[in-house]
Amino acid sequence: MNRPDRLEPGQAERLRAERDRDWRKALRRDISVQKRMAIDRQPMPEQEPWVRIKNFKEVNLGYTFDLARAEARRCLDCGQPGCVAGCPVAIDIPTFIKYIEAGEPEKALETIRRTNGLPAICGRVCPQEVQCEKECNLARAGREPVAIGHLERFVADYICLREGTGTAFHAGPGAPPRPEKIAVVGSGPGGLTAAADLARLGYRVTVFEALHLPGGVLAYGIPEFRLPREILESEINFIKTLGVEVRTNFIVGRTASLDDLRREGYAAFFLATGAGLPSFMNIPGENLLGVYSANEYLTRVNLMKGFRFPEFDTPVPGARKAAVIGGGNVAMDAVRTALRLGAGQATIYYRRSRAEMPARTEEVKHAGEEGIVFNFLTVPVRFLGNERGELRGMVLQRLALGEPDSSGRPRPVPIPGSEFEVEVDLAVVAIGQSPNPLLIRQLPDLKLGRWGNVEVNFQTMATSLPGIYAGGDVVRGGATVILAMGDGRRAARAIDEFLRTG
Amino acid sequence: MNRVVLAERLVPNLYRLVLEAPEVAASARAGQFVMVIPDDKGERIPVNLADWDRRRGTVDLVFLNLGLSTRKLAGLKPGQAVAGLAGPLGRAPEIPDSGAVLLVGGCYGIGGLHPLARELKQAGRKVIFLAEARDPAYIYWEEKIRKYADNFITLFRTDCLSSGQELRGRLDSVLKSHPDISLLMVMGCSYLLFKMSEAAAGPGLKTLVSLNPIMVDGTGMCGACRVSVDGRTYFACVDGPWFESRGLDWQEYFNRRRAFLSQEEQALVRLDREFWKGTE
Repeated sequence: MNRPDRLEPGQAERLRAERDRDWRKALRRDISVQKRMAIDRQPMPEQEPWVRIKNFKEVNLGYTFDLARAEARRCLDCGQPGCVAGCPVAIDIPTFIKYIEAGEPEKALETIRRTNGLPAICGRVCPQEVQCEKECNLARAGREPVAIGHLERFVADYICLREGTGTAFHAGPGAPPRPEKIAVVGSGPGGLTAAADLARLGYRVTVFEALHLPGGVLAYGIPEFRLPREILESEINFIKTLGVEVRTNFIVGRTASLDDLRREGYAAFFLATGAGLPSFMNIPGENLLGVYSANEYLTRVNLMKGFRFPEFDTPVPGARKAAVIGGGNVAMDAVRTALRLGAGQATIYYRRSRAEMPARTEEVKHAGEEGIVFNFLTVPVRFLGNERGELRGMVLQRLALGEPDSSGRPRPVPIPGSEFEVEVDLAVVAIGQSPNPLLIRQLPDLKLGRWGNVEVNFQTMATSLPGIYAGGDVVRGGATVILAMGDGRRAARAIDEFLRTG
Repeated sequence: MNRVVLAERLVPNLYRLVLEAPEVAASARAGQFVMVIPDDKGERIPVNLADWDRRRGTVDLVFLNLGLSTRKLAGLKPGQAVAGLAGPLGRAPEIPDSGAVLLVGGCYGIGGLHPLARELKQAGRKVIFLAEARDPAYIYWEEKIRKYADNFITLFRTDCLSSGQELRGRLDSVLKSHPDISLLMVMGCSYLLFKMSEAAAGPGLKTLVSLNPIMVDGTGMCGACRVSVDGRTYFACVDGPWFESRGLDWQEYFNRRRAFLSQEEQALVRLDREFWKGTE
């Protein structure tokens, strides 16, 4: 599949020029294609399941230098690399992998950072199997694809963690300073990426974050066992070294309106306010004690560090039998969190089958190893409470897969008379989020889609209002970190053009 | 940095903090609240805005020292800072075009209603302020509120709240002497909100209550603060905190406020232990 729109103008030529450099030719001559293809994919070292379910430390331990170089040798350095077009931010993947093979991780990181400000995060949370690794030519040849995500993570960790923070790494040649101030609303992956790119273009950028810590969904949503907080901090520190100012506890739309900010001299805006409105199922009993939105459950644990209660003040609900409703990454995060918090049984209830689960393959695999129970083709129809208003169980209904719906996935159809009851004392609803309306509701002329999402031109991320751009989940609903980052990149480019041409 | 400018105990167990927060002060409106994080390990808790000073860039918080977080706040001294403060949050209630408004405040709600009394008065409304407290020693800010209230009445728990009948009688007599009252607004403990709503249901007086459910982010992101009105779920942080009491599911509200009672007790015991260790 060719997706040239993901490549920046002129990038195809740059990719070719990089590939034609002497050191790359030499590497290609070093080991034959046949020998490279004979190497097996290097497994990611992991904490043993029985150990990791007792802690919140990262499950994946990361490649060693030797493992990374062995994996890098599997890359054929093809003339027509599919991986780059498969990456939403078009990282020059072959070049960075070959730098690993050549033993130069610093240069590998420099290569990644040219198009991706958050490599340690993307290496951990991107769904590589449907992006870069899906387009890997090894996969087409019937082999396992190069572990591009693991390698990206290796490069980022190798440099960032060794240097303590990202600060030691030089930020590259800065563009001449531009006079305009730009406001980025939201410090999640989309906002941080746009901020980094705009700062590199010479603009003065302020990122406004409503919560007390930056990172957005990376801080409140993704658990530490997938994304340790020092990794997030290190990436945010790197972006600060580019000159980006981050203002926490600042709720644009409440603390100040967009108009207030405009009066303060902000010339353009990037709205990356995320999908911070949890969806509920609207079934009886949903407000019983013990029924949580995934957002609340994960925010308590991750952002507020509730898993270290009572050392930290925010309590988290305990559970003997935890049920998580949903089949995405958020559902996997919630159910594995419940297990780590001591639930005797932690179960996923998903209304479609395993094949339709939107979660990353690796998360589903890890969850299975940890003893998570999966119940497919079931959906709760009501929650049951006791006399104190506490959750004690739920009634579920079985479903069958029918004709494909608008999303192209088979529509789950209820089977009449199939209701059954299960005992649970914690239920986490992880069926999706929609855009947080707090700010966008205040902009009456802003054109919205039917889910309350901001409508944009996807080439430029421009909204219906001049000078206001938007990206990430506020545009897409619950999507992925990397798509938000791609939006941030395109928006930064478009904002630059807007400010230069007026 | 939101530094403490002034810290005082208003009456036994009710505290006032004046904090630096220029942007919040600039945007604050009567009836709104802020999220406060006492220290680096603290929770995010909602606290009503009791006043603000746009020129000095400060906000006033009045709160009851009840749990772990409010105890931490009560211990702050001028020059120290809270770990975080964000706001103003919630929808400011609409100011009616005509008629008199009865404000009933108890506990922190006396302070919390002070900006509303001011705003109502400035809009030309007649303001009747009813301050509820355990006994006269627990009334504060009377002078401050009298500036805006046409009538300042007190209601003591010993004579009233114990019996719904008597409360109903007191409300009726207030309504009789001020027949132009068209709106009742209540802020304070859940019990006061509930009892006043019950008493006002008889005369059919439109009643707005300022709900104070458990919150985490305060911006509509988590749904911890769900309340049901006429069978529909609302988020108190963004749809409220002001709700019409008619149709509100009180039982659910009381239940949900107790969600973490055992953990809250555990945390308080721990704080006590640390305090005594510190004195050894």
